[in-house]
Order: sequence, then C-alpha cells, then structure tokens
Amino acid sequence: MATTKVPEVRDIARIERIGAHSHIRGLGLDDALEPRQVSQGMVGQLASRRAAGVILEMIKDGHIAGRAVLIAGQPGTGKTAIAMGIAQSLGPDTPFTALAGSEIFSLEMSKTEALSQAFRKAIGVRIKEETEIIEGEVVEIQIDRPATGTGAKVGKLTLKTTEMETIYDLGNKMIDCLSKEKVQAGDVITIDKATGKISKLGRSFTRARDYDAMGAQTQFVQCPEGELQKRKEVVHTVSLHEIDVINSRTQGFLALFSGDTGEIKSEVREQINAKVCEWREEGKAEIIPGVLFIDEVHMLDMECFSFLNRALESDLSPVLIMATNRGITRIRGTNYQSPHGIPIDLLDRLLIIATSPYTEKETRQILKIRCEEEDVELSEEAHTVLTRIGMETSLRYAIQLISTAGLVCRKRKGTEVQVEDVKRVYSLFLDEARSSQYMKEYQDSFLFNETQTAQMDTS
Amino acid sequence: MDAESLRVLEHLTEVEEAAEDVLTTKQQIVDLDLKRNRNREALNALKTEMSNTENVKVCFGNIFIRFPNVKTREMIQRDQEQLDKEINDLRTGLRAKVNHLNEIQGKPELRGYNLSPLSSDELKSVNRLLKR
Repeated sequence: MATTKVPEVRDIARIERIGAHSHIRGLGLDDALEPRQVSQGMVGQLASRRAAGVILEMIKDGHIAGRAVLIAGQPGTGKTAIAMGIAQSLGPDTPFTALAGSEIFSLEMSKTEALSQAFRKAIGVRIKEETEIIEGEVVEIQIDRPATGTGAKVGKLTLKTTEMETIYDLGNKMIDCLSKEKVQAGDVITIDKATGKISKLGRSFTRARDYDAMGAQTQFVQCPEGELQKRKEVVHTVSLHEIDVINSRTQGFLALFSGDTGEIKSEVREQINAKVCEWREEGKAEIIPGVLFIDEVHMLDMECFSFLNRALESDLSPVLIMATNRGITRIRGTNYQSPHGIPIDLLDRLLIIATSPYTEKETRQILKIRCEEEDVELSEEAHTVLTRIGMETSLRYAIQLISTAGLVCRKRKGTEVQVEDVKRVYSLFLDEARSSQYMKEYQDSFLFNETQTAQMDTS
Repeated sequence: MDAESLRVLEHLTEVEEAAEDVLTTKQQIVDLDLKRNRNREALNALKTEMSNTENVKVCFGNIFIRFPNVKTREMIQRDQEQLDKEINDLRTGLRAKVNHLNEIQGKPELRGYNLSPLSSDELKSVNRLLKR
C-alpha cells in the first residue's frame, strides 16, 4: 500500500549564509546619475559608478545592444559589486545572466555552446496573449433532457456579474462541457470565446453558506465585476534560450530534431531567430536585450574570445559586461601578452571602466555596512583596528574577520566585538602576506618544496 | 494661494480628470456590453420561440411597432456589429488613457501592451513555457 510520505522535520540551527555582495541594492546614483558617496550598499568608486550608471540607463531604454563593457581593477576594488549593482537596478523586466569565466569549461558541452546558451539566456522576448472570455457567476443552469433519452439536449445558462445578468442558450457540446466540469449554481466560471473551454475559478462568496461540508480545495472568490464579455491581455517575457529548449525537444511547434544531448542544434537556433524576427516585423514581439556578465574573463581562451567577437556582431545580442583583475598577462592558451589577458581586437570593441583601491575612510564605511549585513556589533576601537587591518592586508581579509570575530565575541557571551576579539582572530587566521612570510621562513620543512619555483602560472 | 500650491492643485486636477476619464470609459464598456447581451438574448428568442412569418412588437423609444420577424433580426444584427466595433474602439482607447494616467502620476508605463497578440497556433506552442 502506498503511504503518503510525511516530510521529516529536523531541528537544526538555521545557518544563514550571507553572500559577499548581499549588501548591494543598486548603484547608489541620484536622479541626475550623480553617485552618492554612500548609498544602496555602495561606497566610493564614484567615477566607475557614474560610468556604470550611464550604461545602465542606455540598457534600460534599449538604446544599446551588442556592446561590451569591461570592468578592470585590482582585486578587492568592487568590480563584482558594480556588476551586482547594475543587475539590481535593472529591475525584473530586463534579463540578467551572470557566469564565471571558468564555468564554460565542461565535458557535457563545448565552450562555445555554453557561451551561446548564456548569450541567449540574456535576451528576452516580450509577447502578448489576448483572449476574449466570458466571465461570470453562475446563477442558474437549466438542462432539458429529451424523454426518450437520446437526441439533442437543450439548456439555458444564466450568468451574472456585479453589473449585469444575462441568459445564454446552450448547445449540446456546451452542456457536455458544463457537466464534465461539474459546474453548478454559485460557481464563478470563465468561458474562452474562441475555443469554448470552460474553467472554474471557484465558488462565489455569496454562496458560502449553502453547504457546511465541503472539500478543502473549494476556493471562494468574489463575484466578477464589470462586463460579462471581457478581453484579457497578458504580457509574458521569455528568454530566447527557453524557446530554444522547448523547440529542441520532440513535440515542439517548430521541432524538427530530437535528442537530449544538452546541446542545441544551430539549425534550431536559426529557426527560432527567424521566427522571432518575423514576430518582431509583425509587431507581435519585442526583443529586450539584457545583460550577460562574465566574471574572471581572463579565464576564457582564444577560441572563446573569437566567438565573443563574432557573437557581439549578431543582431540578437545582449550587452556584455566582463570583469577582470589581471594586468598585462598572457592570453590563455597562447604565448601572446596582452592587457587584461584579452586580445587586442576584442579590447578595441570594449568600453573600459576602471576601479581604483579604496581609501581608508571608504574601507571603514564598507566594513560598517558589512557588519550590519552580518548582524555583528562592532565597538568603535575594534572598528578602527579592523580598518587598519583592511588597509594593510586586504579588504576581503578584513571582511572575513568580521564574522569570525563575531563568533569569538558570542563565545565569551559579549554583545559587542572588542579589540581583543579582533586580535584573537587576527592571530588565529593568517592573511595572505603573513602566510607567504611563514612559507618563506619554513619552506625547507614543507613537502615537495622547490626553492626556485617561479610564480604559479594560471593562464 | 501662492504659485506653488496653485501648481499642485492644477496637477491634481489633471490627475483626477484623467482618472475620471478612465472610469467613464470603463462604465461605457459595461453599458454597451449589457446592451449587447440583451440583443443577443433577443436574437435567440426570435430564433427559437417564434416562426419566421410571425410579426413581433418592437419597442422604439416609448412606442411599440409591429415588425416582421426577419426584418427585426436583421436590424438587431446590424446593431450588434455596431456595438462590437464600438466596444473594441473603446478598449483600444482605454489603453492609451490608462497610460496617460500612469504617466502624469509618475508611474512606469505598462510595457508590451501595444504589441499585437500571438495567434492561437503560436500561443499553443509557447504555452508550455508560459504555464511553468
């Protein structure tokens, strides 16, 4: 016998993981696109935020597509924060896809396939659905069955809204539909005018007292307002990738090919492109170029870069935002040196936004915002010490210390993180500089030690 | 009143007028639909409850006139077409009025409602996407 499975409720302490950029709510610009010093979780980086704001406005108005932006700067200067800020202020209407440069390397899919899927996820198509429906509360259904048992049934259906009431004559088919849906007096129903499909929305509130015993599924709704015969318009936004997926399966409307390889045939894409362009010509669809954000873009190799070059030129192309922390370095997979590890021909097409290191005051403010986000109370002195740590080591390291110091403080049942707590975690966890110092001192005792190793090659 | 409050008053009047306009159009659609449904009921009654040769009494204003059945039906049908057209026009106009109201209230414009709808075939194919 099949028994219903009751989900097990386990009592565990809820641990909330807080992402590194969870405090970003937008770009922190005013109406004139002037950046405010501290706003929406953003601190400093005024010039780059303003530049991002200009691009954002152009994206929102749909003025640019097929452009690419590069956010370049040292580690820990807020590149990802700016991209997150753009994503947050775009609103729900514009598609935003984010991926890390290394995500495209997979065994399931070729690099270019992963990239083109990401591209197509970032393009939205807005379409409208319009239906004529009759919507009302059933006042009465009257069905006359012929005495012989065979032959056509006739009937009458009385529907009402808050404004009007009318009688419909029913044919055989409608009567069958109504009895199949078990429609009775007091139900609120809609009838699709084109297809004659009947759907029950629920029972009217005025009939709530008719029965005491009823199923839990019975929903009560208000008697509809206004006219009986309504026009219903719904606007949907779907991404090109979603249309691709539906049509690359067997039963799609345009489906020609089957197979679930995870890769989508370029023929399918071309067909979809043609269909969408046709819709656009006919005024049936609007194309919303969204934003594709590729973090750590130096992880891409030569093939990907030439694919990007090509993809940016197609007429269905989103705005590409990339971020990198590399200076002049080798392009992955080649022996050529290039700024940011990006080939010159692609760099030529980019708008480059630079971020600069934070000042002491800005670091202090960021740490304060993070403390609020992570729910850690910080005393004034501890805040100053942490800011010094942030300036001397790195901002990320200082941010890491917030939550760990918070834990130490909670352990000694304190309410506010004091300098001692910060000192304790500072001695417990090494920052990058101290760690390498330690390595240098004790390198002989480590395994597989090679004294003359060159710097790690990541390209 | 100083210039500032006059300006506010003027703006509020404008908003109120636009809102009133929207409401009136909505009510007009309701009234026309009511008439359309009455006509439909009449057509059904003429078709099923009377023979084609009989004369019917039709009410014009405050007098009743005897009219041939077939003629009456034609007349109502024409009226029906007129009503359909009028309702459609009002609905199209309503969209512009709602947009105007949103604009002067400083609300964002409704996007995508000026598209032409997908045909039922196309809709069927994207439906699985929409009913996620």
